[in-house]
Amino acid sequence: MNKERFIQSMHIGMTVLILLFITMPLFPLIFSAFSSRIPWPQLFPESWSMRAWEYVLSPVSGTWPAVTASMSIAAIVTLINLIVAVPAADALARYRFRGKSLVQAALYAPIVIPAFVSVMGMHLTFIRFGLTETVLGVVLGHLSPSLPYMIRSLMISFSTLSCEWEEQGRMLGAGRINRFRYIVIPHILPGIAAGAGLSMLVSLSQYLITFLVGGGRVVTIPILLFPFAGSGDPTIAAVYTLMFAGLAAAALWGLELCLGLFYKKR
Amino acid sequence: MWRKSKPYLMTMPAFAVIAVLFFGGLYEGVMQSFGLFSGAGQIHPGLSAYKQILNMPDFWVSLGLTLRVTILATFLSAILGLLMSVCLFLMSKSDLVRWVPFWRKWFELPLVVPHLAAAYLIVVLFTQSGWISRMMYQIGLIDDMTIFPLLVNEPFGFGMVLAYTWKEAPFISLIIYPVLMRINDTWHEAARVFGASSMQFIKEIVLPLLMPAWFAASFIVFAFTFSAFEIPLLLGITYPKMLPVLAYEWYTGDLTERPQAMAIGLILVMITALLGVLSYRIGKRWLSAAGRGWL
Repeated sequence: MNKERFIQSMHIGMTVLILLFITMPLFPLIFSAFSSRIPWPQLFPESWSMRAWEYVLSPVSGTWPAVTASMSIAAIVTLINLIVAVPAADALARYRFRGKSLVQAALYAPIVIPAFVSVMGMHLTFIRFGLTETVLGVVLGHLSPSLPYMIRSLMISFSTLSCEWEEQGRMLGAGRINRFRYIVIPHILPGIAAGAGLSMLVSLSQYLITFLVGGGRVVTIPILLFPFAGSGDPTIAAVYTLMFAGLAAAALWGLELCLGLFYKKR
Repeated sequence: MWRKSKPYLMTMPAFAVIAVLFFGGLYEGVMQSFGLFSGAGQIHPGLSAYKQILNMPDFWVSLGLTLRVTILATFLSAILGLLMSVCLFLMSKSDLVRWVPFWRKWFELPLVVPHLAAAYLIVVLFTQSGWISRMMYQIGLIDDMTIFPLLVNEPFGFGMVLAYTWKEAPFISLIIYPVLMRINDTWHEAARVFGASSMQFIKEIVLPLLMPAWFAASFIVFAFTFSAFEIPLLLGITYPKMLPVLAYEWYTGDLTERPQAMAIGLILVMITALLGVLSYRIGKRWLSAAGRGWL
């Protein structure tokens, strides 16, 4: 009995410590974002202030164009990923063919091998095709690091979709489009949501690739945040960091929420 | 014919994207590292860029730093990630089970915070004028901020290790928690019937099941940390630099220095690719020896 009590208290203590470790970094950030400079050794701000938010949300800061750019680049990247990943994930999960493991290894390679080296290598070609400093160029740069996550998520969904279900649909007279619409899509929807969330997250988080291809002309939230985080105004950096993390969280958890609501409605 | 070529046609678009935008870039990078590109001017084609990089003490110092930070961060994330999933696992076996999804989301919080943001969180917390130093002053441990140890932008890389651990431990937990959850209550009882102690149960059943996933997740963390750029850019110092930052510095230099920049980048690629193949091999052997299909 004593042993069980010991394990229980260890468990509670450990959980509290982990929660503290995870959550603690957020407090100073929030204090900092909603006050003006807090002098050392004060822990909490004496008065609250929205000065940094006023700057960040004003037109001079360029925040809104950056949010729009970040979100639209992430959305386009995710859409392209989805279109190319659905058939690929289907083939990898449900078909047997020669060279399958090789194809799969090639498609997963950007998870492990740093994509920025490849972007550095492509840079001269990008210049030749006029892709540098354009949104299209940045989108192309974001594709390879994010696509593997989309394929992986969809493969998990496809692996539990039996070919016989589609066969049955065909016997009942459903055409190719209807089979896809009413059998495949509903089944892989969780995979689509998970993959889209991860793909958005990877695209939104990119700093180096956006900077290399965009050359400072395509301004996304991380590009805007960096100079402030380095040596600029810590209050403004805190606000941008909160916004940046919030945007990423909204992209990932928002899709999950939509999916939950969708299933509840049915 | 159609049946045979169908899977190839289905994988074609995705394969084309990766082949052109990823391997194409790497190929061009290799060519450039040999000095073979238009606009190279007076660069002599050959292996001179690699020779120069490998003879440079700065490179070896950077490699050492990068390895140290990566190994420490991977090790700490692996331990913490395991503890996190064990906490969740024990919770799911207690009367707190209804709250598990909520705590899981909370534990996953660092996953959705981008690296650049995570790096800034560490700055706010651990600089000499940061919150930890303020807290230590308030409880009377230090009386001046200069006494607080330098943890960010210093040569050892503490700040980077902390940032990566905070960011990657939830990733490890995300991968191994589902594996842990498959362990059935009845297995423990069955083991007890056969006279196994709890320790033996953990050693003989839990660990062999957990190892492949734990190992794979740790490897991904290692590969990622080894070649990530944002955290070292914000938390590192000018000397020694982390390898990805060093590659970037050469890259932004003159076009005549492009071969050296690409050489550093490709050395990074080779090390991660080698580790990838190695861990795949080990993981495969592990998987076939114990618990096939548990990953």
